[in-house]
Amino acid sequence: MSLGSWAERTTPDGAPTAVVPSMDASTMKLRAGSPSSPAVHAVDLAKRYRHTVALRGLSMTVRRGEVFGFLGPNGAGKTTTVKLLLGLARPTSGEALVLGSPAGDIETRRRIGYLPELFRFQHWLTAREVLGLHAKLLRLKRRERCADEALATVGLARRGDDKVASFSKGMQQRLGLAVALLGEPELVVLDEPTSALDPVGRHEVREIVRGLKQRGSTVFLNTHLLEEAEQICDRVTVIDQGRAVATGTLEELLGRRSVRLRVSGLPNGWWHCYARFGTWALEGEWLRLEGAATEVVPDLVAAVVAAGGRVEAVIPEHQTLEDRFLELLEAR
Amino acid sequence: MSPTVTIAALTFREAVRRKLVAAFLAITVALVGLSAWGFERLSHSRSLSSAEVAASLPQALILFMFMFSFVVALSASTISSPAISAEVESGVLQAVATRPVRRFQILLGKWLGLAVVLTAYAAAVCALEFVVADLVSGFTPPDPAGAFGYLLAEGLVLLTAGLLLSTRLSALATGVVAIALFGAAWLAGVVGTIGADLHVAALREVDSIARYVVPTDGLWHGTIYALEPRSILANAIGHGSPFYAGSPPSWAYLTWCAVWVAAALTAALIVFERREL
Ligand SMILES: Nc1ncnc2c1ncn2[C@@H]1O[C@H](COP(=O)(O)OP(=O)(O)O)[C@@H](O)[C@H]1O
Ligand SMILES: [Mg+2]
Repeated sequence: MSLGSWAERTTPDGAPTAVVPSMDASTMKLRAGSPSSPAVHAVDLAKRYRHTVALRGLSMTVRRGEVFGFLGPNGAGKTTTVKLLLGLARPTSGEALVLGSPAGDIETRRRIGYLPELFRFQHWLTAREVLGLHAKLLRLKRRERCADEALATVGLARRGDDKVASFSKGMQQRLGLAVALLGEPELVVLDEPTSALDPVGRHEVREIVRGLKQRGSTVFLNTHLLEEAEQICDRVTVIDQGRAVATGTLEELLGRRSVRLRVSGLPNGWWHCYARFGTWALEGEWLRLEGAATEVVPDLVAAVVAAGGRVEAVIPEHQTLEDRFLELLEAR
Repeated sequence: MSPTVTIAALTFREAVRRKLVAAFLAITVALVGLSAWGFERLSHSRSLSSAEVAASLPQALILFMFMFSFVVALSASTISSPAISAEVESGVLQAVATRPVRRFQILLGKWLGLAVVLTAYAAAVCALEFVVADLVSGFTPPDPAGAFGYLLAEGLVLLTAGLLLSTRLSALATGVVAIALFGAAWLAGVVGTIGADLHVAALREVDSIARYVVPTDGLWHGTIYALEPRSILANAIGHGSPFYAGSPPSWAYLTWCAVWVAAALTAALIVFERREL
């Protein structure tokens, strides 16, 4: 099975993530910058550095209001992609629209918050002064209140008047998060936001991201942490060696699901009559129904009971994200 | 407030907060103290006639100001060399550059902020030194404002060169190159003076080309001229020494210096605009 067909399988509704169209008339419409335009729409992005090719034809769409996970191993091209989207670097070829405007557009930046992977701030300023600077550049009104709110959100309320130089790495990352949250941006781009945080900090970041989603913001989350993607992302694109290898919701990504079943009171081989539910396999006392979605469980149980069987246990199972991730990367 | 002014204010605040200004002021006070001692010894010298003292006071001031021109050059390249590269390398600039601010506004803001720092510093140096010279020896240069202006212009040339270099080179490399340029330009000026004395056209040629390529030494001669009283000029005392200027820089030359700074700043803008962060 080719990866392309896998991608199509994961998005049966033919969403643009499966096969991203080239910049045609429909894309031009997205440019208008209407609220209905996707948060991010990238087509065939390629980025070549002198000795390395960081991105080779990356296409993806991030919908408004979703928490989008950009998942890949180190060096996959996540940070490069983000830099292209924010206009810090220029693509070798390809194009990207962010909130309906070409990547890097100055006015659109007002609506984007960004936590860089290398989060560093003017260490001779206090945290509050750093936020004040960014609030000024964003031309926010009521700058002090915005700064206070952002500090409180990331748990730095009591350290606001301390110099950044006195902050631990984790606190600096929290400050970076506060900077990214300033001014209620429509799109928040977080490049490995928990790399310096302890478990409590990671949990708080998850809560912050959920809060952003509730507020209606779109979150673009770069991560190599599977559990992070699993816990907070609505949809995920897996990237490896500069290419998107899979896109979909976690449900879709973890496509190979099965139901394990223990039934008594029926003659051996009874399951041959139930091939419509999927492919059966005998595993000792257990039966495994491959390719079954959780939705079939009630019907399946009803059918078995109707036939006179006694259902002792039903366990819906799916592949772990880690298995799937490794499988995807190995397939390349 | 426009983003340019915001960045300029930030840059100024950085120089103050990081104690750069304090460090240079401390050096200045020490050097001014040293010069006070020198003026004191000179003006109360028993081995010199009063005419000789009158002639040597301006030359002593020129010598001290040469030292300060070196300190100003050093400070100009010190504050400008980390301006871009160091912030790109550390990642500080990435967070700022993704805000609704254009690259040229960042660079221009930094130039403005650093220029204000340098102006304040050069003004402090000149005011201190001239007041001390006057108090201790009674000598006042004929054109103190001019001397300050040329010194500042010299600093701004190096500041802009440093900013241009820092869009590409590391802070250390920028600092070294900027100071090397300053030293080479001064040396070319000395070579030119020797060439004029010995009537060697080739050596004079070196100077006349160098003062267009790196206009710091040409401007330094403006400072010298502004410090020379009429008595020195009329008798051409010190003619043939690198610390003598027979005439002020021409308007054409000053225009060239302004064009030079504008061109260097434009080049810096273009390089920075293209740089990937
Ligand atoms: N400025 C650069 N110059 C040269 N190569 C780079 C540069 N930035 C990134 N790369 C290369 O591009 C690839 C992707 O890097 P990156 O986007 O940082 O990966 P990720 O963020 O997924 O870990 C890597 O091989 C990296 O070495
Ligand atoms: Mg990265």
